[in-house]
Amino acid sequence: MKQFKLKYLLITLSLASILTSCSKNDPDPTPPIPGDARAGIYILNQGNINQNNSTLTYFDYSTQTTTADKYMVANSTKLGDTGNDLGVYGAKMYIVVNNSNLVSITNAHTAKLTKQLTINQPRYVKFYKNYALVSSYSGTVSVVDTTSLTITKTINVGRNPEQMTVANGKLYVANSGGLDYPDYDKTVSVIDLNTLTETKKITVTVNPISITSDRYNNVYVLSMGNYGGDDKHPAVGSGITVINANTDEVRSQSNVSFGYGIPIIAQGDFVYYPTADNKIAMYNAKTQTLERANFITDGTVITSPFALAFDPINGAMFITDAKDYSSNGTIYAFNVAGQKQSSLTTGINPGSIAFVNK
Amino acid sequence: MVWILAALPFQHALAQTDTTKRLKEVNIASSRAELLNSIAPAQQIKADAFVRYSAFNVADAIRGFSGVSIKDYGGVGGLKTVSVRGLGANHTAVLLDGIQINDAENGQIDLSKFNLNNVAEIALYNGQPSDISQPARSFASASVLAIKTIKPTLSAEKPYLISAGIKGGSFGLVNPYVQWQQRLNNHLSFIINGYTENADGKYRYTVYNGGKNIPQERIAADVKIQQIDGAVYWVGKDSSKFNLRVNYYHADRGLPGAVVLYVPTPHGQKLWNNDFFTQAGYEKNWKGGLRLLVNSKYANSYLHYFDPEWNNTAGFLDEHYRQQEFYGSASLSYIITKNWEISYASDLAINTLSANLNVFKYPTRTTVLNVLASNFKTGKFTLQGSVLNSNITETVVIGTTIPKRNVFSPTLMANYKLNEPVTLRAFYKNIFRAPTFSELYYTFITNTGLRPEFANQYDIGVTYNKNLPGAVEYFSLTADLYYNKVKDKIIYTLKIFPLSVQNIALVEGVGADLGLKTEAKLGSLYKGLLAINYSFQRAMNLTYPGDATYQNQLPYTPLHLANLNVGVNRQGWGLYYNQMFSSLRFYNNNNDTSDNDYYLPYYSLADLSAVYKGKYKLLPIMISAEINNLYGASYQVVRSYPMPGRSFRISFQITI
Repeated sequence: MKQFKLKYLLITLSLASILTSCSKNDPDPTPPIPGDARAGIYILNQGNINQNNSTLTYFDYSTQTTTADKYMVANSTKLGDTGNDLGVYGAKMYIVVNNSNLVSITNAHTAKLTKQLTINQPRYVKFYKNYALVSSYSGTVSVVDTTSLTITKTINVGRNPEQMTVANGKLYVANSGGLDYPDYDKTVSVIDLNTLTETKKITVTVNPISITSDRYNNVYVLSMGNYGGDDKHPAVGSGITVINANTDEVRSQSNVSFGYGIPIIAQGDFVYYPTADNKIAMYNAKTQTLERANFITDGTVITSPFALAFDPINGAMFITDAKDYSSNGTIYAFNVAGQKQSSLTTGINPGSIAFVNK
Repeated sequence: MVWILAALPFQHALAQTDTTKRLKEVNIASSRAELLNSIAPAQQIKADAFVRYSAFNVADAIRGFSGVSIKDYGGVGGLKTVSVRGLGANHTAVLLDGIQINDAENGQIDLSKFNLNNVAEIALYNGQPSDISQPARSFASASVLAIKTIKPTLSAEKPYLISAGIKGGSFGLVNPYVQWQQRLNNHLSFIINGYTENADGKYRYTVYNGGKNIPQERIAADVKIQQIDGAVYWVGKDSSKFNLRVNYYHADRGLPGAVVLYVPTPHGQKLWNNDFFTQAGYEKNWKGGLRLLVNSKYANSYLHYFDPEWNNTAGFLDEHYRQQEFYGSASLSYIITKNWEISYASDLAINTLSANLNVFKYPTRTTVLNVLASNFKTGKFTLQGSVLNSNITETVVIGTTIPKRNVFSPTLMANYKLNEPVTLRAFYKNIFRAPTFSELYYTFITNTGLRPEFANQYDIGVTYNKNLPGAVEYFSLTADLYYNKVKDKIIYTLKIFPLSVQNIALVEGVGADLGLKTEAKLGSLYKGLLAINYSFQRAMNLTYPGDATYQNQLPYTPLHLANLNVGVNRQGWGLYYNQMFSSLRFYNNNNDTSDNDYYLPYYSLADLSAVYKGKYKLLPIMISAEINNLYGASYQVVRSYPMPGRSFRISFQITI
């Protein structure tokens, strides 16, 4: 239905960038790399569990067309059940299909399958040098060699690891223990990316799931709390833990209510995450204070924020809306001033976004 | 309702067994036209017709009913629930001999659990049954599925009847059963039923993956079931009646689960049920038109679920649940004048649930129902009205619970005999269902802010029912139009991590149910039978105005459902063919048909059955053979649960 009007988008975004670049906190000091241009944007839709209806929406910037399931078009097979994370790295795309126990590695442009790796309940993927690091609910991080596309090492971490982030040459892994209600895990594993070994476990608020890091070597961990309530398991609420990646010590801990999915991203001086009232909180990384209760300034309402991604080349913030979690969602593009520029229909539960260059 | 408690010491429980129809308008019509002549729409199937529908369980037997869609997870041990007129399984009460089979945990009754060996008839009432001399629970749901068991009707000359039989066939099914009816004296008789059911549950199916159909086999779906059921019937000199039933059901099932792409066929999950219940009923009629029914029940249901592969510290999931129900009901009805009957019924139910889960809330629900009802008949006009008061109080060991609820629910049903074969009917019913224990307390997804789910039903219809003197013996036609509105529909959602239950949906439905039934003599030896049902259901999701899902058809609700049943009888022989059709269904809130994997395609199923009833050395025998899914259609009722292809079953029964 709705299409990206890229021309207008770029114009308004660049205008917005000019207007906001005067503000004291630069959203992104890195200038767009000359010659770099986006070919398109991928949105991985989880679908619903046990429905085998995960799809890969692709929007092509030059032709201005949407493909509802590029993976299916390229491979004539389905992605599988609950595609949980997506990453483009070099010429390859890594699609983590949770309930099908698969990491599908494809050509980043065509989505044509190159190789499938079987990993038990894989959750997320992160990249560092020539590694793709895949967290698995079985309590491990698998190290995939991005050249040979084989699993070269499996690192034991905490229980049911979820998201990961790379900071200061280390990988930080949120160990949720999510299947051990109410005795969840409450640690973040620190993995030395040179030796590929776990060096430390940092205690954070119970049930950590989402994690990101800013350019000041702060690691932000969102925890869901324990949903407790009896004498043996007193209730612990959700909250943010900030870790200093230089010292690997907890810098601060605070209570915040999140919505479902709780994506978190850091871009320039800001950290963004959705709160329980479906606003996108904007947190100042430099001052470690809340910058704005809602990044969105034009009144656009996101029913169920589900994924966040910032495109530094186009200067656009992408936010997906999973709506009722049982029908097609929407991806919105905002300029850095928090004004909606365009939107596009996705598949069900659009949970992950990746950009691909020309 | 303290007096009820006092009047109902538990072991002294008494109650109704047979809801004797007293007012003329609720009589079952002519034996030739097997049509329930009730005020609101009602459909019925009797035991001798089960073979016409190749039915093995209650869910199969009601396939030919209008307005009924059955959710079927496939196979011998697969869950089967019924949704009437798109309202969802939680809005249909299942009664066994007038007493509700309640599941406070899930609110849905698995109809595959009911073997037909002991069933005399099944009736479905939209709204509520016309007989107002009933427990209050009969008035407390949007529709009622009433199962009646076989009762001993024996004479002093032959005081016993023993039937033994065996059914077997595809899926490795072996199902021997025995029934012993015994008359002890003029006042006392009993019936005992027992069966075992064993099956490996294996079948082949195909999985769709992007244009390719991959053959797979359903494994680890074995079923081992034993059930024993006994009832004592007593009839007093004053024609008062008492009965006591005891039932125990044990099932040990492999749960094959959803078929997930790229992972091995699921196996290893197990489910065990140990269900015990005892119910008793007492009924007394006084000369002046006063009638008393007292019912009681105790149920203890244990469920054990095991998943050997789970990424928690233990490495497996092992969950135990036990629910109990204490139930008592008293109903008093009085015929004021020849054409006016009033009734008052009061029910008390206490439901508890315990589980071996951490931070479990251990809920106890106390439900008090009071209903005042009236049946009034004047000339061609019959009017039924009732007001139900529901009072629900809940307590939990830890945490918070739902606030106390006190709700009044009215129902109005009318019937007008236009001229001899034609009757007009209409009803309005407002009812709610309380949130189930699962919805309220399942571990951490507690949402005790849940409100009851309200359903409003409106129906107008016409029936044409005529017995004929010629070759065509009778002809009956029913047509109903309805409108439903469900407010505060309870939906599982991901709104709060990782799953929660909320009152977020608004649903409106319009529909039509059509039914035709006829029997005709074909020459002097043969008799032809024909039954056609058609249902149209447009159930709309109105939850988010302005959203793409607004006015979308609800998931798992086909727009068109049709069933054709034809048969020929000849002196003990019968040959029957059943053809059902379901239009496409959606499995999520999208109504997207751009790819054939975005919805569940239409399917059409044919069953063929033959029966012979005769004698072997003076002993009555019955032999039947059935072929289900005759043309081997590949289909799914529930997404990711492929259904079996062609299968067969044979049965043999002998009666002494």
